[in-house]
Order: sequence, then C-alpha cells, then structure tokens
Amino acid sequence: MLLESVLTGAVRGGTSILYPTLGEVISERAGVVNLGTEGCMLAGALTAYAVGIETGSVWLGVVAGVVAGAVLGLLHAFMVITRRANPIATGLVVTFLALGLTALFGQDYVGQGVNAMGPVAIPGLSDLPFLGPILFDHDPLTYLSFAAAPAIWWVLFRTRAGLNIRAAGERPEVLEAFGTSPARVRYAAVVIGGALAGLGGAQLSTAFTLNWSERMTVGRGFVAVALVIFAAWDPLKAVGGAYLFSGAISLQLQLQARGWELSRYLLEAVPYLTVILVLVALSHRRRHAAPESLGRVLA
Amino acid sequence: MTATTDTTDAETTDTDATPAAPGPGDAALAARAWMPLATDIGRWVAALVGSFVLFGLFVALRGVSPVEALKAVFESAVGDTDAIGETLVRATPLVLAALAVTVPARAGLFNIGGEGQLLLGAIGAVGASRMLDGAVPMVPTLAVMGLAAAATGAAWAGLAAVLRQVFGTNEAITTLLLNYIAGLILTWLVFEPWKDPQSLGQAYTKELDDQSRLPVLWGNRVHAGLLIAVVAAVAVWFLLSRTRWGFRLGVLGGNAEAARRAGFRVGGLSLGAMMVGGALAGLGGMTEVAGVEGRLRPEILVSYGYTAFLSSWLARHHPLHTLWAATLLGGIIVGGFGLKIATGLSGGAVEVLSALVLLGVLGFAQTGTRKAV
Amino acid sequence: MSPRRPRHLLFTALLALVALLAAACGSSGDDTATTGGSEGSGGATESSGGGAASGDTFTVGFIYVGPKDDFGYNQAAYQGSQAVAALDGVEVIQSENVPETAEAEAVMQSMIDKGAKLIFATSFGHLEFARNLAEENPDVVFVHQGGLEGEPGLDNLGTYFGTVYEPVYTAGIAAGAATKTGKLGYVYAFPIPQTLANINAFTLGAQSVNPAAETIAISTGSWCDPGLQAEAAKSLLDQGVDVITQHQDCTKTIIEATEAAGAFTVGYHADAAELAPKGWLTGSEWSWDQLYVDITTTVKDGKFAESDYNGDYRIGLQTGDNPFVQSEFGPSVTDDTKGKIDAAREAFIDGGSPFKGPVADQDGKEMYAADKQPTYAEVETMDFFVKGVIGTIG
Repeated sequence: MLLESVLTGAVRGGTSILYPTLGEVISERAGVVNLGTEGCMLAGALTAYAVGIETGSVWLGVVAGVVAGAVLGLLHAFMVITRRANPIATGLVVTFLALGLTALFGQDYVGQGVNAMGPVAIPGLSDLPFLGPILFDHDPLTYLSFAAAPAIWWVLFRTRAGLNIRAAGERPEVLEAFGTSPARVRYAAVVIGGALAGLGGAQLSTAFTLNWSERMTVGRGFVAVALVIFAAWDPLKAVGGAYLFSGAISLQLQLQARGWELSRYLLEAVPYLTVILVLVALSHRRRHAAPESLGRVLA
Repeated sequence: MTATTDTTDAETTDTDATPAAPGPGDAALAARAWMPLATDIGRWVAALVGSFVLFGLFVALRGVSPVEALKAVFESAVGDTDAIGETLVRATPLVLAALAVTVPARAGLFNIGGEGQLLLGAIGAVGASRMLDGAVPMVPTLAVMGLAAAATGAAWAGLAAVLRQVFGTNEAITTLLLNYIAGLILTWLVFEPWKDPQSLGQAYTKELDDQSRLPVLWGNRVHAGLLIAVVAAVAVWFLLSRTRWGFRLGVLGGNAEAARRAGFRVGGLSLGAMMVGGALAGLGGMTEVAGVEGRLRPEILVSYGYTAFLSSWLARHHPLHTLWAATLLGGIIVGGFGLKIATGLSGGAVEVLSALVLLGVLGFAQTGTRKAV
Repeated sequence: MSPRRPRHLLFTALLALVALLAAACGSSGDDTATTGGSEGSGGATESSGGGAASGDTFTVGFIYVGPKDDFGYNQAAYQGSQAVAALDGVEVIQSENVPETAEAEAVMQSMIDKGAKLIFATSFGHLEFARNLAEENPDVVFVHQGGLEGEPGLDNLGTYFGTVYEPVYTAGIAAGAATKTGKLGYVYAFPIPQTLANINAFTLGAQSVNPAAETIAISTGSWCDPGLQAEAAKSLLDQGVDVITQHQDCTKTIIEATEAAGAFTVGYHADAAELAPKGWLTGSEWSWDQLYVDITTTVKDGKFAESDYNGDYRIGLQTGDNPFVQSEFGPSVTDDTKGKIDAAREAFIDGGSPFKGPVADQDGKEMYAADKQPTYAEVETMDFFVKGVIGTIG
C-alpha cells in the first residue's frame, strides 16, 4: 500500500532531518541562525561512525557524534556571539570546515563495517495494522525523537530555561534587565542545536544507512534550516516538516519502484519543490512567528 | 586594540590597501583611516597566518609534513605562469558570482543561490548558441549569449525575489533550495533533450562552435571572461557608490523602514537588486561554459556558488575587493590540485584551509562589525 | 558595541577549540592506520618533491572521480595503481575527487608538469580532457577507462575496458534462479550506457533461467547518497523484490538493507560477501592489476603506438583476461545454477554475447535480431531497457 510505505519511509528517513530541525528551532528561538547545521550533521555522522568502530560501541559513537556537533555549534556561537560575525556567512564557513575535516579524517572509515544500531520492533504495537510498521518498527534513536520533539516543546514553552531562550530571541534587553546574560543563553542554545544536529548525523550513519561516505548529508542540514520556518519555530510542527521532506523522498522512490512512467528528473526534484511550495504557501502566516532578533536575517 | 572603536559600519570604512575608497566624505575618512589602516593590515596578516598555521596542524595530524603541504599548495596556485593562469581561470566565475551576492547584500538581501544562477546562466548561454547555430560572427554571438545568460540568471534570482515580495518567503532559503532544482534542470538537459548525439554515450551537450567560445587571452586557458569579470566589478562599484540607485539600495539595506518613509519603492528595489545579482552570476556561468568547458556537463560549477558567497564576505561586500577575494579562494582551490597530487590527502583538505581563512577574516580581521546577531 | 578583549586570547581559544575537534577525529584516524585496511593516508606521500622525475624513474599519474577508498569503482582503480607503483623504476602520483569537468584537464596538466609520462584517466567523463591534453602533449600517453576514442584516433591516446556486462549477466543467472517472487531490483545513478548495459545484461541473465523474471530499476541521481540508497532499497523490498543489485559507487548501505530484510544480494565493484553472509549470491568485481601493469610496461618500453592499447582496447571472457571478474558464490547458490553459469561463461569464451539476439526493448520492439550480436561500440552506447525491465530512462 503506497500510503503506508511512504509514511513508513517518512519516519524512517525523517529522523536524521528531525533532530537538526529541532536543534535549529532552539538556536533560532534564541536568535541565532545556524547554516552550519549541515556541517554539524556531517561531523556527527563521521564521529559517531568512527568512534563506533574504534570502541565497538555504537552508543559511545552516538555520544561522540553529539559532542562533535556541539563543538561545531560552539565554534559558530563563538564567531557569531562573541566575534559578532555574520551568522549566515559563518554558518556556511562552519559547513565548509566540516566538509573538509570529515573528508580529511574520514578517509579510513569509508566502507568499514560499523556495529550498527538496528531496528527494534516494539512487541505488540509493531503488529498493529498500518500504524505498526509506520511507528513501531524503528531504531532506538527514532523512538527517542518521538519523545524529543514534545520534550523540547515543553522545555521551550513551559520552563524557565525555555523562557530565557525565547527572551534571548525576542527581547534580550528584558533578559538583561533580569540579570541573565543573553549571550550566555544564546551560547547554550546554539551548542544544544549543534549537538542535536550531530545526533541527526549519528542516526544517519549508524542507524539509517549504516555507512559513512564523504558529504553523505547532501544538504539535509540546509533543508533542516528551511524546515524551521515551515515549522514556525515550533518543535511539534518540526516533526511534520521533517516527515514531509523525507516522505517526499520516499514517495518519489516508491513511485519509481511501482513503475510509474514519470520523468526521473522531475521525481528527483519533488522533495525540494515540496519544501519550496509549502514555504511559499505558509510564508504569510510564518513571518509573524519569527523571533524578533532574527530580524532581517530570517523573516 | 584601541583603534577598533572608531567604526560603526563596515560599508563606509573600507580602509584596506586597495585604492578605491567608496562612498561620500572620503577626505575626512581617509585622514582618520591611517591609524586603523596599520592595525587593520596587522589583523589581516594575523588572520591569514593563523589559518595557515592551523591548517598545517590538521595536515600534520594526518601524517603529512605541513611544510610540504603548504609548498604544494603555493606551487600549484602561484608557482609559475601556468599556475597563476589556472588561478585566474578559477577566479573568473567566482568574481561574477560573488558580485551577485554583493549587490543584493547592499539592499540587505541574502543571495545564496549563486550555484543555481551560475548554472542557469550557463544553460542560457548554451541555449542562445544553439539557436544561433553558428550563423553569426563571434562578437554578436557572444553578445547574444551574454544577454541570454544574464537574463536566465536574473530570472532565476528574480523568482526568489518575487516569492519574497508576494508571499514573504525568505530569500536566503529559497535561493538555497533553488540550487538543487537548477542542478536537476542541468542534469535533465544534458541527459535528454540537449545531449550530444555524437557523444559516444557521454552525457554532455554538443561542443560550442568557435564563434561561441570566449577567446583565450593569455597562456593556454586564461580567457576573455576575466575581462568581463573585472569590468563587472568596476561597474558594480560605480553602480553602488556613484548612482542614485546604489544609494537607495544602501538606504534600504541600512534601514528598510527609512527607505519606505523616504518614498522608495522597496519592492522594486529588492527585485532589481536580486535580478542584477542573478544576471551577474548568469554571466559567470557563461564565462565558464564559453571560456573553459565548451559544453554543458552534469558536474560543471559544483560548489562555485558557495565559494563565491564566501568571497563576497571576504571582500566585505566591496565590489572591487571581490576581485582579490575571489582570486584568493580560487587560488586555494587550485592549490588543492597540487596538494592532492603531492600528499595523497583527500580533496577536502583545501576546504579546511578556505574555511579557516574565512573564520580568521570574519571573526578577527573585521574592524567594524555588521549588525550583531 | 561591547568592549574588546585582547585579540590573541580569543584566537588561542579558537585554536584550542578547533584542535579539540581535530583530536576527536584525529586520534581515531591514527588508530586505524595501524590496524590495517587503510592504504589511504600513506599512499602517495613519497611522490612529491621538487622538479620533474629524473631520467630513470618513469612517472605514472592516476586520476579518480571519487574518493580512492570508496569501497567501489575508485578504490578498485586505486588498488590497480598500487600494482603499478610496485614496478621497478616507476613512480605513481595520483589525485582523487577529480570532477568530470575542465578541472580534470588542469589536474592532469599539473601531473605532466611533475613529469608524468603516462596518465590513467579512470572515469568515463574524463575522456575529453585526456584527449585535449593528448593533442597538446605528444610525448605523454593517456589511457582512459571505459570510453570510446572516436575518430580520428591519436597515437598517444587509448581507451581500455573490460566487458563489464559478462559477469553481470552470469550474476543475473544466479539472481533469476534464486528469486521466489520473480522480481529483481536494481539501484543505479544515471542512465549512462554502461549502466543500461548492466541492467539489461542482468535481466537477460535472469530471464535465461527464469523467463518471467522482471527487474525494477530505480535511479537515485547520485553515485553515492546513502540516505537515498536506503530508501531506494526499501521501496524495492516493498514491491516484493527479493534480489537486489546496484550500480553505485558506494555499495554498503544497499547491501546492509537487503541483508537485513532477508533478501539476496548481488554485489558490484567489490566482494562484499562479509556484509551479507546469508543473502550473498555473487557479484562482479574489478581486478585491474595485470592490465594496468601491462599498459605501463608497454608505454615505458616505448611501444604504445604499435600496441593494441592504442585504440579502443576491450578484453572479455573471449580473450580470457577480463579485468571484471565474477565474485565468489554465496551459500545459497545451487550446483545446478553454478552449472548454468559455467555454460553461459563457456558460450562467452567461444565468442557469444549476453546481448545475442533476439533482444527486444521494453515495448517489445526488436533491437537485436535473432543470432545477431551487438559490437562493443554498440553495447557501450546502449540507450534502452530490454523487455522485463520496469523503469524509465527519461
């Protein structure tokens, strides 16, 4: 059944996009755009894979991938917040840096076998018709992402920390007046954002594709940044955005497998066209949801 | 360290070695600029040296002698006349695509779509050449190709501008996503309707006829596109700093509300800035296809757009500074050819060097800062 | 504007930060260098140095379109280059990630500047640039992997390739015998002739033992995009496909997904049996060593122009030394199937072809008449899918 296959593919392939999207939501909520998300993902993907191989523990690898993403997030934060460099330009530079470093240090790991994180079917639930395969037959990091989105929503909108993050993005002067340094909050948000992007990369290499190859994220991190606007800076809507994009990928491959006689070039464009069209359709409403200090940068 | 406090806006205080001081009130500024100039140069040197040192460190971690690696980069990029020529060839489309970032940036817009606009320009140029089919002499042929390239590039960038104007869709994101679509259009053309029937299976278009090739100026490869790039840089400088339109873009980029209150047609200005940018990148695509490649292939111009974006930032969006900034980043890429051969390192190694130079310059060599965060 | 802190302090901080990152990646990188399996780092380090090669060393250049350790096409070529490097008096220089654009010309030019007298351009799209340089450098020999030289030929340019589609056809026999659903899957990048010939050969091989067999062909539009590969494999499996093969540069993702689903794998580029201990049927892999060495020796001895390598040199089972060989069989291939594969191979050795007519395209139109065989050149410019392939070229 096409719908079931596409939705299953949307969830399976969407996890590696969902994490960076969630990370970028946090980062942008605090007022900092990070196009380096692509680079953080790539660093996370390689580091998780390499450490997984070296230590024999894929979980240690995932932790290392998260750290690698966080380190690049820290670099971005330092450049943008402390050195006041332009966030868009810096983000691209961070991505360039990650592209280069992962190509340089990843050479030895191409094609190497990793101790993979396989799917774990949830007993009972995975046998449900329709919903079972879509939701309950995935790897642990995918299950974790089901919890991560609402958890991040809760933190952002129901806790003091979340209030600080949003204040850093909306009214930093208020935050300052209450004795909290907006810069510090932003640092934290960008580093956490990088860490989540690293986690997305780790899921991509150790759970989804079981592979490392140069540039394997091919723009997933950039798409995540676009999806943040789609999601109106809301972690729950980010889930929809990530699944929409990966669902579009899944759809085009499913249609090919079903022998639909459509131009393959058109089919390959479907995921990107989908994101653009949806962004266009939603732009009017989304503009007002943008955190204030993103200002001109992303509105 | 004291000298850093005098500036508020990078645009108005370009105090670097290149002569062209832009904007109004140069005399007073120039006088004040002497002290910071020294510090400024110091910063630049420190940033560049620092990035090369760090690069050496990474290379050493990979078990390769840093001296050997840097020597290979330098020799390959500027070691002899051929190397310098190669660097200039590489810089040509980068300059044009960097200007495509600079013009919208003056109006406060982000154009990350250089990649796609370059490709559309290349496609437009080849399309024009196919239509003329060798029937016209070189100069008019090239002129028509240039116009077509500028038009297709402008249309592609204009699409993002229109979406921004009508729907409020963020142009940084749409230009970025449109790059992927442009790549698919190119792939489709070279595999399907425009594929050279004599290609013996290769996926590329028919070779451009002689009238459609930019003449070689120097050595084997340096072609007339270089002149186009230099002229474009000067023209953009003139446009931005000496015309009313450029002034209005600057006002718009500085404060959109002020521009609106001054009665400027903000929509038209934004659209114009993006389209002029797209036209420049389109020309860049034409120079590559008519000057270097001779036909469309699936892999042409990959990552040139992003490098050009960074070149524009390296030049702090000053049109004339773009010339050396693009040459520097282009040179690093060409240096990578030699580095790969000499050390067996991955091709990604030079991306590290480019990124470090940019980090150094963005974070440590800017006298003023642009709007924070 | 915030007050400035001393610059050098911040720069040190940045340095420390980036060094930390490097250490994270770097230390693990060093470890594998000793545990083996990584020819990557050390490979060509010796080769640089100032000036051109001296009179008694013969310098050979290799360019690859992708990373030289991709566990696929490029790695196979790289391994061949190492056999050349082991020759006495031969020095090898190389460059990976050389795109199929004018950049290839620049890279090969710098190899010539470094004294290269023979250059192996190993990717299909490198041909035109090798040809351009061959015209300008009559004293340097260029050999290209997989292309056709065209007319007029040059005396310092040749192409070489194996009859790739022969082992793909015999692997197709194994697939056709193994499938229970009659549905085979093929993941590919772009509809270039080599790929189309492979998909067709695979399908015809399967149909030779299982006339109802169909191949679903899916393109990813990329030589290596693991994320798309994973989904492509799943979408094939969803259609009931139970044997999957591919024409991609990096192969691991698809093999892992296939094995996890309990389906059969037919490999490509390299022997990946250890990735699929249960489902591995067979595959096709490169073995360039002998041919690269022979070409190098011929050129070194100054005999290229009068040799067979000066032109479109093709070797296959008929000549007995196809550089594209069939991989070991997996556990589930029966003796009966092995017998059929041997018989097909014998037929090729005796001058047969996988594409021996009658061969019809997807719409049933006859492409090669009964008992007709396409020439090498016809196979290498193939532009259609045979009957039984589900997929669209355009």
